[in-house]
Amino acid sequence: MNMEKKLLQQTTRRQLFENCSIGVGKAALTSLFVGDKLFASPDQGLHHAPRAKNVIYLFMAGAPSQFELWERKPELQKLNGETLPPSLLEGKRFAFMDAFVKSPPKLLGTRREFRRHGESGQWVSECLPHTAQVVDDLAFVRSAHTENFNHAPAKIMMNTGTPIFGRPSMGAWVSYGIGSEAKDLPGFVVLQSGPRGPRGGAMNWASGFLPTSHQGIPFLSGGAPILNMSSPEGFDAGRQAAAIDAVHDLNRMNLERYGDPEIETRIAAYEMAHRMQTSGPELIDFSTESRATLEMYGAKPGEKSFANNCLLARRLVERGVRFVQLYHSSWDHHGGPGENLDENLDEVCLAADRGCAALIRDLKQRGLLEETLVVWGGEFGRTPMGEQRDTLGRNHHIDAFTMWFAGGGVKPGQSIGETDEIGFSPVKDPVHVHDIQATILHLLGIDHEKLTFRFRGRDFRLTDVGGKVIGKLLA
Amino acid sequence: MKMTAKTLLPGRRRIGCLAAVFAAVTAPAAAEDAAKIRFFEERVRPVLAANCLQCHNDQAKMSGLSLASREAAMLGGSRGSAVIPGQAEESLLVQAIERAGELKMPPAGPLPADDAAALAEWVRQGAAWASAPSRPRATADHWAFQPVRRPEPPPLRDASRARNAIDHFIQAKLEEKGIAPSPEADRRTLIRRLSLDLTGLPPTREEAAAFLEDRAPGAYERAVERLLASPHYGERWGRRWLDIARYADSNGYSIDGDRSIWRYRDWVIDALNRDMPFDRFVIEQIAGDLLPEPTEAQLIATGFHRNTMINGEGGIDYEQYRVEAVVDRVNTTGAAFLGLTVGCARCHDHKFDPISQREFYRLYSFFNNIDELGGNIPDGEGPAFKMQPLLEFGKPEDFARRKAVEQQIEALEAELLQYQKTIEQDWQSRFELSGDSVEERIPAILETPIEARATIDRNLLSRFFSKKDPAWKARLDGIRALRGALPKLESTLVMRELPQPRESYIHVQGDFTRKGDAVGPGTLAVLPPLPESDSPNRRDLPNRLDLARWLVSAENPMTPRVTINRLWQRYFGAGIVETENDFGSQGAAPSHPELLDWLASEFVRRGWSLKAMHRLITASATYRQSAAARPEAAAADPANRLLARQNRLRLEAEIIRDAGLTVSGLLAPVIGGPSVFPPQPAGAGGFTQVDREWKTSAGADRYRRGMYTFFRRSAAYPGLALFDAPNAQASTTRRNRSNTPLQALTLLNDEAQTEFAASLAKRVLASADSRGERIRFAFEICLARPPREDEQQRMSQYLARMTDEFASEGEFASEGGSAAGSPQEAAWLAASRVMLNLDEFVTRQ
Repeated sequence: MNMEKKLLQQTTRRQLFENCSIGVGKAALTSLFVGDKLFASPDQGLHHAPRAKNVIYLFMAGAPSQFELWERKPELQKLNGETLPPSLLEGKRFAFMDAFVKSPPKLLGTRREFRRHGESGQWVSECLPHTAQVVDDLAFVRSAHTENFNHAPAKIMMNTGTPIFGRPSMGAWVSYGIGSEAKDLPGFVVLQSGPRGPRGGAMNWASGFLPTSHQGIPFLSGGAPILNMSSPEGFDAGRQAAAIDAVHDLNRMNLERYGDPEIETRIAAYEMAHRMQTSGPELIDFSTESRATLEMYGAKPGEKSFANNCLLARRLVERGVRFVQLYHSSWDHHGGPGENLDENLDEVCLAADRGCAALIRDLKQRGLLEETLVVWGGEFGRTPMGEQRDTLGRNHHIDAFTMWFAGGGVKPGQSIGETDEIGFSPVKDPVHVHDIQATILHLLGIDHEKLTFRFRGRDFRLTDVGGKVIGKLLA
Repeated sequence: MKMTAKTLLPGRRRIGCLAAVFAAVTAPAAAEDAAKIRFFEERVRPVLAANCLQCHNDQAKMSGLSLASREAAMLGGSRGSAVIPGQAEESLLVQAIERAGELKMPPAGPLPADDAAALAEWVRQGAAWASAPSRPRATADHWAFQPVRRPEPPPLRDASRARNAIDHFIQAKLEEKGIAPSPEADRRTLIRRLSLDLTGLPPTREEAAAFLEDRAPGAYERAVERLLASPHYGERWGRRWLDIARYADSNGYSIDGDRSIWRYRDWVIDALNRDMPFDRFVIEQIAGDLLPEPTEAQLIATGFHRNTMINGEGGIDYEQYRVEAVVDRVNTTGAAFLGLTVGCARCHDHKFDPISQREFYRLYSFFNNIDELGGNIPDGEGPAFKMQPLLEFGKPEDFARRKAVEQQIEALEAELLQYQKTIEQDWQSRFELSGDSVEERIPAILETPIEARATIDRNLLSRFFSKKDPAWKARLDGIRALRGALPKLESTLVMRELPQPRESYIHVQGDFTRKGDAVGPGTLAVLPPLPESDSPNRRDLPNRLDLARWLVSAENPMTPRVTINRLWQRYFGAGIVETENDFGSQGAAPSHPELLDWLASEFVRRGWSLKAMHRLITASATYRQSAAARPEAAAADPANRLLARQNRLRLEAEIIRDAGLTVSGLLAPVIGGPSVFPPQPAGAGGFTQVDREWKTSAGADRYRRGMYTFFRRSAAYPGLALFDAPNAQASTTRRNRSNTPLQALTLLNDEAQTEFAASLAKRVLASADSRGERIRFAFEICLARPPREDEQQRMSQYLARMTDEFASEGEFASEGGSAAGSPQEAAWLAASRVMLNLDEFVTRQ
């Protein structure tokens, strides 16, 4: 008899949860929205004391160019136009590979100016003037690397720890592991801005084989944030309450006859749904925000923008939402029409830069940064070589790229890892995607090796069989 | 001990593997001295893990050395063997940690002296290495690999409550525990249960009444026969098969464009309605194309293994995703028929079941010869090309017309090429570097022979010429226009074998770029051998048809057990083997092994007739029991594995919609056809890369059963996804049954729900004149039973309040709700909403 079974015996109320005792870890029994807590108090964490309570993950979809934003490489500037030594390409696979095979790529220096910023003196390019002002609060990882060179699998890798579609995402794992403090909001919320949604769509925030209640809930822009959050026409708050009351009473009558705990769970779910409906409008109502705050973010109420989403993210973590993921597209600057490294890059930087910086500042001044981990990054990086399309852009690069971290438990004002002179490969402290995932879980009080779920005869975890906490990142 | 996941797509250095985390299972015999093993576990393994394995594991293999197992350590790396058991001084490992020679390990600094001494002592004593303290590895004598037996139904002390053999098996176990079975559910519950289970639709009021009035013997069996004969039976059980088949209407991955494969879905419905024997059902889906002179239907059936995803993202390596599709076919075949986690052996031998990596690729090679997109196929081909092979439908003149246009295009392309050659010479002679970066590459491209140019270069050049040479552009535009005007033929995805099979080889650590040994088609050694084939298409090697026949051969114990177990799971919420997709050693043991075998043998004995098995299970007293809780029985069997009662089961996503459509009278009971687009909340599709328009269907297609809703893999219809419909990324053999507030929001507020409620309200109002009678009617059509006294009162009270409210608000009639013409109608819309939100409404009791 396994642990789950024993637990089920003690908790007959939930005995048919998900209808299968196999694979239902005790965490799964804390059906997220019902708000049960089977765990020790949040201060103790699941496996150790957490350094952060919540995560805001700024996912820069399409893969921003580290060479235009963060990585100053004088040697690359010098070698601009030189052919890349073929030895570096040996055994490598790239996107749009046939072009590389048939004509050896040339190195591309950036046209962007770099300057040191803050007391920590970190290099940031002219593209991100706002973020440059908060670098002392950020910790850069300049040696991140991943495994897949196409967008969708790489995004899935970053989110689920494997390029295979259909596995649980990081937010779902976190929700499964430690639930959420939010009483009337989902524990894992997804926000989106930019010209298009992330490649792979809902697979990026899926619950996979974890209970469905842990999946990320995408919020809509403008109007009610959650699908079906508004009552049908003709049903004001009072009538909605009356309807839910009637459903509640009739369900309870059936519960008395059948004694099925699922009925009780459904009653609780309706209560929660009701609370969500009442609190939803308040959540997205920015009128309580000061003018200065709106100004700082560049937020304009009602707009579908990254700036608004950053502000909304702060409001969500204030309300106890555990994991907020913001997708902003599109950073895929190959050089083709609409994706050049000049004005097209400017546009996306302009849309993203201010919100990022404002979020850090705002969280900090409200004392929330200490308990909120902020993550910034794409699914991979871009090549030090140019890619000739209509203009010179950069191709996908999985060997080295830059991310930054801030807030709860992160030692700010530092850079971890280094790449070689042309930024092709890490030469110091390489950080794999699984290391990033392990670290995020670690900061939340979760041991990435212990948060497992049995499915099809195996215990799965977010970090597959890898992952090492990035010690240098921790405060 | 932790099982670990595996990176399946070809990654790079860090393809994960179990052995990275714990030692491999290939240890010396169990006769190892226990003290030595304890010493290893306590003093050696932790030291290796903390200091060595990070670099010297089976993946990283720094300097070629892994210390993840005894064998690996003895095999050693580039410097030779690291451990020579019994000879500590000669062992490189000991030399390195003692920093005696040139090699000094670990590089960070010497080990603590006692750790170093422990390692040396361990090698001196023979380097005993414990097997990973894992679960036992299944061997050929594991229960699931044994032939299906036909046990006698056990005798019962009290057989008065048994209706057929099933009950003997179930009640014998209950008798052992001293638990009595539950009484039969009342007839109203039974007719609703049967209707939902067999057709996925609640009974109409008339159907329920007819059953209640049929007091003659055999009424129950007659109801079962009626339902099994309904075309909705094929829809109900077909959708469940489509879960396994990972059916979807889009290609998946990033672009996730539309595909047309609904004819396969319809084939499934039709095959089940005709009660096609299950062995035939399997053969046609796996290898219909290889049958002698296959019919159109048999070709359509092969869509089963074309439900794999197709990556339409730019810049990909097509071969990589073709390989993924083939792997998915192996995994799906394993889950659907064999109930084995075959996929675990993609990168290494299965750690717990007797499935070697070689065997995985032997199965792989059956599916590796499809004439589909892969290999070195350039970008830039049309989307239809990526979908091959297709079976197309059209009148002969449609095909002829298309052929004509294609020939026209070919001719124009040849002309364009000729023209290009002339202007290229021209450009080569007069090209001057303009300094414009766009054009910088052009001279180099021009120097490359036309045939040898990369796609991206060809595109670049094409754009260049389009800009510079109006004549070129005109020609190209002409070709494009013709392409756009190609007559579109309807099609469905099918399997088609290459004339020459592809070479199959073991992918080292699951990475297709790393070729291991070549392998030919074959099955698992632990199961009976492939039968001799009489296929006329047979070449020297067995093919998919042989595999299909093997899956359903009389000797193969897996397919009937797995199939019948899944059938059981649908009726009782859990299978006799609870891990319905893992009959291996990591799966759960069957709760009633004899019953499982009896049912499996019965299945085969009855000619693989699924309908016969439905009759058998629904006829049992076990199935017909009440689902009411039994606190006294729950103490001994909290999860109700012994089935002292039925289980209440929340309806599946599609069925919740179907139930709403039925009781509202809106259902358009059309079987099959292209997928449809019922209303979905605004913004639901906005989170994918390509925000595709959702053109809400008009007319009857607005009210089709949930299973016909267009299923986009990256943005599933919210009403389906929220109620646990599978995401179609991989084969799903069991759905979750979650219970969340978002489901509540959907049932309360979704546009479709309000439409159902309005229509239900109209039916109710038309049914009778008094409030009491109307409430009764509403309960009868929604729940197949009259309201109980307390329910009647509560509903009446709610209606009274709503009527008053709406009456006091004269405006409502003109502004509000889809159906509200009067306060009474508005109030009944509200009451109908309540009915559709009841737990009982969305539950099979």
